[in-house]
Amino acid sequence: MTASARSRPAPALPRILGQIRPRPRWLELRLLVLVAIVLVVGSASLGATVRGRPDAGADLFDPSVWLPLDVTALAIYLGALFAAHAAQVLAGRRTDQVLLPAVGMLGGISLLLMQRLPQDLVGSGFFGAEGLGQVQLVWLLLSVAVATTVGIVVRSDSWLRQYKYTWAAAGIALLLLTFVFGSDVGGQRLTLVIGPFSGQPSELLKVILVIFLAGYLSENRALLVEQDTRLGPIRLPPIPYLVPMAAMWAIALGIVVVQRDLGAALLFFGVFLLLLYAATARISLVIGGLIAFFLGSAVLATLFEHIGTRIAIWLDPFADPLGAGYQVVQSLHAFARGGLLGMGLGNGLPMIGGRVTIPEVHTDFPLAALGEELGLIGVLGVLGIYLVIIERGLRIGAAAADDFRSLLATGLALVVGIQAFIIAAGNLKVLPLTGVTLPFISYGGSSLLVNGLVIGLLLALSDKGVEPPPPPRKRRLDRILRRGAP
Amino acid sequence: MDGFLIGLWVVRLLFLGLLYLFLFQIVRALVRDLRAATQSATAELGRLHVLASPSGDPPVGVAFSLDAITSLGRDVNNSIVIDDAFASTEHAVLTFRGRDWYVEDLDSTNGTYVNGNRVEGVAALGYGDELQIGQVRLRLERARR
Repeated sequence: MTASARSRPAPALPRILGQIRPRPRWLELRLLVLVAIVLVVGSASLGATVRGRPDAGADLFDPSVWLPLDVTALAIYLGALFAAHAAQVLAGRRTDQVLLPAVGMLGGISLLLMQRLPQDLVGSGFFGAEGLGQVQLVWLLLSVAVATTVGIVVRSDSWLRQYKYTWAAAGIALLLLTFVFGSDVGGQRLTLVIGPFSGQPSELLKVILVIFLAGYLSENRALLVEQDTRLGPIRLPPIPYLVPMAAMWAIALGIVVVQRDLGAALLFFGVFLLLLYAATARISLVIGGLIAFFLGSAVLATLFEHIGTRIAIWLDPFADPLGAGYQVVQSLHAFARGGLLGMGLGNGLPMIGGRVTIPEVHTDFPLAALGEELGLIGVLGVLGIYLVIIERGLRIGAAAADDFRSLLATGLALVVGIQAFIIAAGNLKVLPLTGVTLPFISYGGSSLLVNGLVIGLLLALSDKGVEPPPPPRKRRLDRILRRGAP
Repeated sequence: MDGFLIGLWVVRLLFLGLLYLFLFQIVRALVRDLRAATQSATAELGRLHVLASPSGDPPVGVAFSLDAITSLGRDVNNSIVIDDAFASTEHAVLTFRGRDWYVEDLDSTNGTYVNGNRVEGVAALGYGDELQIGQVRLRLERARR
């Protein structure tokens, strides 16, 4: 029993590359083998459905019928997963072994889905990839590469910790850039086009937000918890600390107004409130924030037509089933057709009379397509994998060495989880439909790359004790306040 | 219904079944991980934070990590030595049983106080409670994970 309060661990010895010993990851390997089996079986069922359809009398014992739909694409994807596994084994870090198989499974399901949807949903290919399935394969490979690289290479978090205000400034700049130069796609100003590249900055913004909040809250946690400003019966944190919260609220509502993106606003504000709760354990702040957000949204819904329309569609999509409510109505029909066990991969109805039944099915409604083809059982399985990812993130956060890493891991897991929840609820008409993507399943480069980055950071954070966290810094805001006080 | 369709049906169900086998395997790994975490967490059960100490030993601001049994007093053989003129040589014992903390006064001359109330025999202690021994005030805090 020793006084361990301020004792600082000895600085980590510099590592020489040659000293890194490969470390087996049996759990990850076992789960990845299972992922491969699941995907091969799924792909075989997809292939047989597609090939068997023209002539109903296909031969049960003809092996060529049961080949996966696109053998090379599946082989490349599974090869990439095992390569990522091998790279992590060679790197020898003691990182999490569940995240890669869980994400790999989601990505594989995404690949099957994109191969099965009409291939001309995406306009231009690149890297010699043509059509939805192949382009998605390229993005999936890049995403796995990003996750693995970040998970292996990142050993220190000081570049995130010390420059949090710089990150926040970069995030706001990105947001403003989208406000000004963004191009409108489908009534939402989300896409930023720079030369040949186009991307959705709000995807990257959510990671920046988590980094900033983790840094800010871990520095000011004690003050937020202990000091009070009494406003009648309500206990509030000291006024200067409320300013960032009010700013967050304003930014969230600003996104709603300017970008017309209710989903991103909900995501940002939800992550903010949950991290605030994780840091301070004060439920009153969360409730107050939620009330403020919903009041603000309600006011905006009456002021701005597009938000009002969204809410009207949500309340009654059947009022205009062929016009405004078309997407949601078709999505509900798709879930209904799927029933308990689904119609089988490749057996849904993506096209009726040359028209895609659910517009934007590959970005906004992949869960509806899965619901139609895999049924309730399949959708619950997919949602279960998201729960696993959230659990891993929270565990990594709970085991982290200090507040910053803890909040960062919690926030990164929640950002993926809440996003999946928001779009799943939108597909099911539980929440108003919003334009966020379903992480790891939706088609789209920005989404896949950024979520790959999130997983990479979680992997890096899950490695205990590579480098001890730096000693706590003097709280900047506190210092300024004290200086100003008499 | 011909053989091919039945075969296709079986493969589809197999896919869903395997998906759940995968989930089951993951959840089993997670449960094992959680169980290991609860067992290895015995390294530190709680912390005792020094709030006030006129003599300077123990110094203010230090947090002691606690085992299941911690003895407090002026004698150097105590697990936490409290070098205070008003503390007895063997003053009190702090124990962790099940999920709760208890403090037992060892017939000290000046008594042990929990949140300002004198302890008669044994008293329960919660996180955040203040313990006073002599002129030294200590606060019980949750273990840091």
